[in-house]
Amino acid sequence: MLTTQPVLRYKQPERHYDVIIIGGGLHGLAAAYNLARYHHVKRIAVLERRYIGFGGSGRNTEMVRSNKRAHETLPFYKESLEMWDGLSAELEWNLLVQKKGLIALAHSDGELAAMRMLSDSQRRAGIKIDMLSPGEIKKMVPSLDVSDRTALPIFGAQFHPEGGTVHHDAALWGYAKAAARWGVDICAGVEVTGFNIEGGKVTGVRTTAGNIAAGKVHVAVGGYSSEIARMLGVKFPVVTIPMQVMTTEVMAPFLDYYVASPRLHWYTQQTLKGDLILGGQLDPWQSWNSNTTWQECSERVAFILEYFPDLAHVRVVRSWSGLCDCTGDSAPVMGPSGIEGLSLDIAWGYYGFKSTPACGKYAAEYIATGKVPEKIKHFGLDRFYNRQRVREIII
Amino acid sequence: MPFLIDCPNCGRRSPYEFKFGGECKQPPKPEADVKAWCDYLYFNENMSGVQEEWWYHAMGCRSWLKVRRNTVTHEISKE
Repeated sequence: MLTTQPVLRYKQPERHYDVIIIGGGLHGLAAAYNLARYHHVKRIAVLERRYIGFGGSGRNTEMVRSNKRAHETLPFYKESLEMWDGLSAELEWNLLVQKKGLIALAHSDGELAAMRMLSDSQRRAGIKIDMLSPGEIKKMVPSLDVSDRTALPIFGAQFHPEGGTVHHDAALWGYAKAAARWGVDICAGVEVTGFNIEGGKVTGVRTTAGNIAAGKVHVAVGGYSSEIARMLGVKFPVVTIPMQVMTTEVMAPFLDYYVASPRLHWYTQQTLKGDLILGGQLDPWQSWNSNTTWQECSERVAFILEYFPDLAHVRVVRSWSGLCDCTGDSAPVMGPSGIEGLSLDIAWGYYGFKSTPACGKYAAEYIATGKVPEKIKHFGLDRFYNRQRVREIII
Repeated sequence: MPFLIDCPNCGRRSPYEFKFGGECKQPPKPEADVKAWCDYLYFNENMSGVQEEWWYHAMGCRSWLKVRRNTVTHEISKE
């Protein structure tokens, strides 16, 4: 007889832990897994107020890439993208890593020139980048309209061959299973309501399941970071903005690459299942509401139809939205919080999914050693006071 | 449409006619130190609940409004 074993059993939190991680998303679970496996921390709890993967981890568009701009962040994103390759074997769980390549379209000469400069920055960091002509794009994506008919004709594109997709739920369960195997207590349905701080040092958290003492506390709550800030009586340099995503009905395979237009704020890819994922624009206002709107759906669809006219008969079947806590400089906040024993991994905006493996690695290293690792030293909260904001771009 | 905004000049209008201007903040005094100005510029309360915020009616009367909105439910409340 076939028996089904649950993939994971949630636990009730105990009264004391060495490290408590707030947030049972990809970043929290990755940090927990790395702490347990590589830094030999014995007693770790991941506290999640709803269920693991409720937030951005299960709501993103599964894109992994490293074609960013700032020299401070490029080595980090590059390492993260490379880490996805070995992760399925390491976590013993197939993450469906598919590095299919990413095409970013340019709609004017000026944009193409800016893209060439961007490409040079990326090549200097060791990232593979090619420029494509409209003819080459047409050969790779035959369904794309590269003619002069479109509202903003395509002048060329940047090709990022190592970019691609990873199944986000697979990644989440892979990390959760691996963390549980290495002895991490994953406690869902436990909401943190406050912190116990004595003499500038965090000694534990107050939760809906009672007080829990901890040597160190790590905040990895994704878009909900400002709620933690209010418990601490501080402010974070973020604004929470939702991003909406849609999927279409399932079709036969026709689109081999991830295609994006940074100018018109759309991107699309065909998943392994066959549906298209459409997205690319943050909502025009700050909100903690994850409803979706007809306006956003119709605008994305209109832009994408302009370049994929053959999709005119295809229906959008589902849409959802996730919260992004965005900083002004499009770079995250990682490292010390100003309170001893409390570390931050927040402000990941809409680029948190692709950074998960490196984030887990360096967050764990920081928690275990207390020293800020070289690769995340530019992500500190103090950069907003020292005029050292990261020169990152919004794509 | 997620909600409607009461414009005193134009009536109840779609938020897509407006430009969102962020939460209302009190700027520091001109003689305040750099830290106070950095706090003002970059750090936000980012309220999950009722907050007072700026909206610019770009496709209407082109005036700036202060609106009290619940950022979780999108409910607009009178003062």
